[in-house]
Amino acid sequence: MPDRDDSGAWLPFDEFLASGAADQGRGPARPPASRGQPGREPSVPRDAASRDASPRDPAPGGDAAPRAAGVTTPAGREPARAPGPRILLVGELTRVIRDVMREAPRLRDLWVEGEVGQVSISSAGHCYFTLKDDKAQLRCMIFRDDRLSIPFEPRTGLRLVAHGRLDVFEPQGVYQLYVDAIQPAGFGDLALRFEALKAKLTAEGLFDAGRKRPLPAWPHTIGVATSLTGAVLQDIRQVFARRWPLVRVVVSSCQVQGQGAPESVVAALRRLARWTDPQTGRGTDVVILARGGGSLEDLWAFNEEIVVRAVAAHPCPIVVGVGHETDVTLAEFAADVRAATPSVAAELAVPARAEQQARLRVLVGRLDDAGRRAVAGPRTTLDAERRALDAFRPAAYLAAERERVGLLLDRATRAIDGRLIAERSRLTRLDDRLPLLVEGRLARARTELRTGAAGLGALSPYATLGRGYAIVRDDAGRVVRSVTAAVAGDALHVTLHEGALDVRVEAVRDSAS
Amino acid sequence: MTQPILDAAATPAASTPDPAITALPFDRALADLQAVVTRLESGGLPLEESIALYERGVALHEHCASLLAGAELRVQRLVDAAGGSLRTVDLRPDDDEA
Repeated sequence: MPDRDDSGAWLPFDEFLASGAADQGRGPARPPASRGQPGREPSVPRDAASRDASPRDPAPGGDAAPRAAGVTTPAGREPARAPGPRILLVGELTRVIRDVMREAPRLRDLWVEGEVGQVSISSAGHCYFTLKDDKAQLRCMIFRDDRLSIPFEPRTGLRLVAHGRLDVFEPQGVYQLYVDAIQPAGFGDLALRFEALKAKLTAEGLFDAGRKRPLPAWPHTIGVATSLTGAVLQDIRQVFARRWPLVRVVVSSCQVQGQGAPESVVAALRRLARWTDPQTGRGTDVVILARGGGSLEDLWAFNEEIVVRAVAAHPCPIVVGVGHETDVTLAEFAADVRAATPSVAAELAVPARAEQQARLRVLVGRLDDAGRRAVAGPRTTLDAERRALDAFRPAAYLAAERERVGLLLDRATRAIDGRLIAERSRLTRLDDRLPLLVEGRLARARTELRTGAAGLGALSPYATLGRGYAIVRDDAGRVVRSVTAAVAGDALHVTLHEGALDVRVEAVRDSAS
Repeated sequence: MTQPILDAAATPAASTPDPAITALPFDRALADLQAVVTRLESGGLPLEESIALYERGVALHEHCASLLAGAELRVQRLVDAAGGSLRTVDLRPDDDEA
C-alpha cells in the first residue's frame, strides 16, 4: 500500500510545517491542510518520541557529538520569516528527511536481507557495515550494547537478515539501518551456528566415540520419539512389523520442526526416559528419535543445543534417524547410532526375522544330526556286544541285552521319527526347503535302524534254538542260568525250537557231582 | 523289528508344550536351544539323556519358530496421565495420521 504509506510519511511533514516554531510562516511550502489525517497521528509521534529518547549515538565513528546539537543549531539560527518560496538550509532539509523517515511505518520496524560488505568496529565498540545485493547497498550499524546481545557478528560475505529501524544521521547526511537483531539467512549462517555449536560440544566430548553405547541385541521395548503426523511413524511401524514384530513400541510424540520443536523433542525424550512398564518395571531398551527429510531450516531443531544434549544424556542407547541427503545434524553426532533415515533407524534397532529363521534352521539341522548320532553310538555298542556274545553264545544274555537296547532304540526311533515328522509338516507349512533334507535324513535313519534290527533277528537266540539249544525259565519267566536257581519240585518252562515244555525238577545235580 | 515292549517313555513334546519353554522370550529360548545343540553335539551322554535333550531342543525350536511366525507388532503411545505419571494407549496404524 504505497499510497497510504506515502500519505502517512508525509503527514508529519504537514504537521511539522504547520506547527514547528522554527518553520512558521513558510506558507508556500505548506501542503494543503486537507491532506492531514489526524486519526493516524497518535501512534506515530509516540513511537518516534521514544526513539528520540534513545541515548544512543548513531554517528559512524561513534564519537560524534549528539545529533540534537547538530540539528538545533541551524534550526535555532533559522531567521526565515519571509513569505514565498524560500531556500532551505541543509540542516532543515535533513531534519525534514529525518522526520519523514522516522515517521514512515515501513521504515521503523523492518527486516532486510543482504550480503555483508565492509565491516568495521569503532573504538567505541559500535559495528558499522554495509548490506548489499546486486542492485543497491545499505549502510548499517549496530550499537555496542546490541552487539553483545546478538549471537554472531556480521562478517564480510555473509548473508544475513537484519532487523532494525531506518534513520538519518544528519551530520553526514546519510540514512542507515540501526540494527538491533540479526538472523541467519540461508545456509551460510546456519552453517556458522552449526559449526560454532559443534565445536563447543566437541570440545566437551559430547561426540566422543567412547561415549557411544552398543544397541541391545534383543530389545523388548523400543521408544520412538517423532511426530504422529506424517509418514515417519508409519515407516518405522512397517519396518518393525516386517522385520521384528516381537518388539513392543512405545511412541512419545513431539513436534519436529518450527517454533517450540526443540523443547518438544526434549520433552518427548524425557517422557521415554522416565517411563517404565507398570507390570515388569522395565523401561525402553533403545530409543529412536526420527523425523523426515527437509531443508536445513526444517531440520534445525536437531541442531539446537538442548536437543543435542538431551540425546547425549539419554539413559538408554539412542538411534537418531533424520531423512536427509547430505547434512548431518548435531543430534545425530550425539546419538549412539546414526541412521540415514527413520526406516534405517528402525532396522538398526531390531534383529532381522529372516536371519533368525535361517539361524534356527541351521540349529535344528544340527539338533537332528546330533540326535541321530546319539542313537548311532549305542547301536555301534550293541553290534560289538552282539559279536562278543555270539562268540560265547549265552543266548539268554544276548536276548536280554538286545531287549534293553532295543527298547532304547525304539524310543529313540519314535522320538526322532515323531519330531522329524512334526518338524517336516511345520516346515512344509512354511514352504521351506528343509523338509526335503529332513526327509532324506529320516529315510536313511529308518533304513539304518531296520538293517540293524534285521541283523539282530538273524542272530537272535531264538534262531539258535533250532540248533538244539533250549532256554529254561522259572515260573516268573526269569531265565534259569544256574542249577542253584532251582530245587527239586520247581516248575520250569523250557523253550525249544518249535515250542515249549513245562517240566518239573526231579533232582538237582551240579556238574561236580 | 524290536518288540514294542515298555513304552511309557517318550511322548512327543509337541503334544504337551512345556510352559517353562513357551514363557521364554525369543532370545532366551534361542540361547537355550544353542546350548542344547552344543551339549548334544559334544556327545558322551547316556542315550536317554540324549533323547531328552533332543526333545527339549525340538520344543525350544518350535517355540522360537512360532514366535517369529506369529508375533504381532504392538504399538502404543505414551500419554501424560494425572499426577505427572505416564500411561500407554494402543496406537493403531490409522491413528498415526491423527
